[in-house]
Amino acid sequence: MTTNPTIMVIDDEKIVGDMAKLSLEQEGYEVETFLDGESALKRLAEKKFNVVITDFKMKGVDGLEVLRTTKRLYPETVVIMITAFANLDVAIEALRDDVFDFFPKPVKIKELKQSIRKALGR
Amino acid sequence: MTPLPTRSRLAKTFRAWLSRLLSPTVKPLALPLLFATFQKVLASNNRALEGITDMGEKLSGDYIFDINYITTAYTALAADFQNSIVQFKTLSSGRYPIAEPFATIHALILDMIQGQEGRATDLLLSLEEMTWDRAREVGGKNYNLAELKNGLGLPVPDGFALTGRAFSEFIRHNDLSAALLRLQEGSASEAEILALRQRILAGVFPPELDQQVTAALDRLRRHGVKAQLAVRSSADEEDGYYSFAGQFESVLNVPLQTHELRKAYCRVVASLFSPGAMAYQRQLGYHVGGLRMAVGCLLMVDAVASGVIYTADPARGDKGVVVINAAWGLGPSVVDGLTDTDLHVVQKGEPPQVVETKVGRKESMTVPAASGETRQEPTPEASRNLPCLSPDAVIALARQSMGIEAYFKGPQDIEWAMRADGKIIFLQARALKVAVDLPPAAGEKGPDRSVVVPVEAINQSPIISNQGIAVQTGVAAGKAFILKSLAELDKFPLGAVLVAQNDSPQFIRVMPYAAAIITGSGGLASHMASVCREFKIPTLVNCGEALNLLRHGQEISLNIDASGNSAIYDGRIAGLLAQHHKHGMAMEELYEFRRQKYLLRYIAPLNLVNPLEDEFTPGKCRTLHDVLRFIHEKSMQTIIEASSSGIGGLTALRKLELPVPAGLQVLDLGGGLMPGVSSTVSEKEIRSLPLRAIIEGLTTPGAWHLGAISLEVGDLVGSMMRIGELTAEGAKMEARNLAVIATEYVNFAMRFGFHFNLVDSYCSDRAANNYVYFRFVGGAADMTKRSRRIALIDRVLKESGFLSKTTGDLIIARLSHISRDEVLAALRMAGRLIAFMRQLDAVLRDDEQIEVYARRFLDGNYEL
Repeated sequence: MTTNPTIMVIDDEKIVGDMAKLSLEQEGYEVETFLDGESALKRLAEKKFNVVITDFKMKGVDGLEVLRTTKRLYPETVVIMITAFANLDVAIEALRDDVFDFFPKPVKIKELKQSIRKALGR
Repeated sequence: MTPLPTRSRLAKTFRAWLSRLLSPTVKPLALPLLFATFQKVLASNNRALEGITDMGEKLSGDYIFDINYITTAYTALAADFQNSIVQFKTLSSGRYPIAEPFATIHALILDMIQGQEGRATDLLLSLEEMTWDRAREVGGKNYNLAELKNGLGLPVPDGFALTGRAFSEFIRHNDLSAALLRLQEGSASEAEILALRQRILAGVFPPELDQQVTAALDRLRRHGVKAQLAVRSSADEEDGYYSFAGQFESVLNVPLQTHELRKAYCRVVASLFSPGAMAYQRQLGYHVGGLRMAVGCLLMVDAVASGVIYTADPARGDKGVVVINAAWGLGPSVVDGLTDTDLHVVQKGEPPQVVETKVGRKESMTVPAASGETRQEPTPEASRNLPCLSPDAVIALARQSMGIEAYFKGPQDIEWAMRADGKIIFLQARALKVAVDLPPAAGEKGPDRSVVVPVEAINQSPIISNQGIAVQTGVAAGKAFILKSLAELDKFPLGAVLVAQNDSPQFIRVMPYAAAIITGSGGLASHMASVCREFKIPTLVNCGEALNLLRHGQEISLNIDASGNSAIYDGRIAGLLAQHHKHGMAMEELYEFRRQKYLLRYIAPLNLVNPLEDEFTPGKCRTLHDVLRFIHEKSMQTIIEASSSGIGGLTALRKLELPVPAGLQVLDLGGGLMPGVSSTVSEKEIRSLPLRAIIEGLTTPGAWHLGAISLEVGDLVGSMMRIGELTAEGAKMEARNLAVIATEYVNFAMRFGFHFNLVDSYCSDRAANNYVYFRFVGGAADMTKRSRRIALIDRVLKESGFLSKTTGDLIIARLSHISRDEVLAALRMAGRLIAFMRQLDAVLRDDEQIEVYARRFLDGNYEL
């Protein structure tokens, strides 16, 4: 029996996690949401996720730190970065650090789903 | 990057802007400057319209957004509006008070973005006072009732609402804020919640509220000393997306005395914190303790019968029918599922047709009790099997319900009561959740809203099949939990199927855990049925067999398909469940999403539809889109009037040479003519696209008749009698065969004999800016013939897609939001029509001629 791919969503606004969870669960993914980087990293230490979708700009542990920790723990986990600011420098820096994809907010759900499908090779 | 303005700064800037704008009016501008301003208004209108469209798209559910997006996008949108309004004020010399409606809507939107309570200070509002901008203060239920009365003129009970503000004051006055806060934080214990309810029940009105309530009750005494109130919740649900059906207490038969009303109010407010209501709020993502409750106080209707109407079949999703439930006595019989009611199914259409009638047994009825409460009593034998409604009353109710549905733009759940004299009074209307929404349009992948497995497709014999009434379609499996008393609800296990004799709104407490619900009694119209549909819990009611045949703890499967067929099986049916996958939840079911999306209600819809109606005023603007529409329309009107009358430098006038004797002069505002033209210009030297199109039409071979059509005696008398007015007007209009032009603009004013014709048009590559305005008035023939000519013009313009309005011998028509090519085609048609009509009134000898000549014109035959 195959298990569904797991996705972690981190954003300090509840509505972002809620909307992502709702739309991704419809695709059959198992989704866990977190409101800050700290609690997300704690969970990552216990559990491996197939995809991590994280906001870039967060208080405390930010998106880059989430990215680095994820990659250190699970090199094959795919990280997708989202941010309110469509800042190219951030994108380039993040991409160099092995971000699979990058979305400015508001994120078109269809494109996010496509990106995840691509990342999971489905 | 520029920092985003803080919210308080935003509000401050806005106030400064508004005070500048409300300063005395500005002087009218000279025409070229006016035209430049007009173009600026159009440009900022376009940006604003794009902003509206963009927010609509981003909040559609197709995007994940955050609050920062809302703030940023709305800040930009508001700035565009402010810009538009400033430019428009200059353009129209401050003639239209559009800044005020904008300020009202803007304030409502800012309140929502900032999560504020709203600025209304009223504690109590009568039904008449519940205007659109106060909907939040009085709650959805009160507001909808007010709309039935104020907007549709339907009979509703007299009464008033205690607002959300009154609730806040009540909480403060009784020192309950801290307790509510603990509840919001989730740190209140059961005992604290119980204590909170007790304190609410013992609450008193703040003095100001007490006075207002006393005064309002005094006013209601005109309905007689025996008049009594129904006191009901109307929670401050921002969106009305969820019904809150039956979750809060209603108190009936309340005497018109302040202390009695206070007691009832306290009971209603306390019911916000009952276990069932709190479970419901949590389930929907509301913060318990954060919801404000407005309360409606409405006169009781002395009802001989009452019931519920659905303007669609909620279980099967059929939007083509109206379903009417009726029972003797007061409403609870129907909404609490207490008796077997009458059912009438009416096919919508004109006339509506009854397609199904089932007269219920109606063994019991709800009646007022001496204690001020209500009670169930046996229905008199003679009435039981009699239908409550006559066939005519059923049709009349169906018609009214269809009207309500059209007004609120969606299926409705309506409560009604019938007095002894047969008059129907409407008690409530709210959006109806329909279980199976229509399938998504081809190529559009909608969420899978219901699991539909045809019952006949399952190859196993059911224990029970096609018994009872299907409330919500779906597939489920679990252990049967046979409920003996409501107290046992606390023991309900996760994932079980609830089986009970009677339905109850209390079931909400277990709905988050229930796989399905089956009851032995009840109907489609109960509160529980509404809530089951909201939560999409497969539900079967009025299925007495279930209680006889199912055992407590027995594993069962349930299937209710889209045709309303149902089957209950022993055990888990693999074939059935394999097809069962997680229900697609709509984005709308997320509370935060709904809350944010609700903003759009004050932004996107368009209510000011027809600029030719009297309703087209600033006061009727309810959304930003309305404001924009008003500005656009009046800007156009301003430029038309200015171009038609306020010509300054006459030296700039040039004579236009045409093959027809139109005697036309042109005034170029910029780019309308080739550079360096002399005082007489030829057709070829015109650069203005819209003028070229009109000229093309005007000079279409055959359209312009050179010969004179003889007038009859009556026509001459008519024109002689009007000679005074015509000469006076004539002098004023002497130089009116004039076209004021720019590259993309024309104001074409022509006078032929006794009629006056105006065409004004803007024609760019942006459809949103484009319009054609056509006005025609007067004539030399008698009024009947002139009116015939107007009828003909009307006929032709309507055929070309114009919106028109006629009064006597005047017609005003307009066409807008069309592409450049469409504008040019309309202008060519207008040119031909101007030429063709000049002497047409004289030949229109009877009404039949109207169609004859209209047809000829449309076929390109210009013979008179």
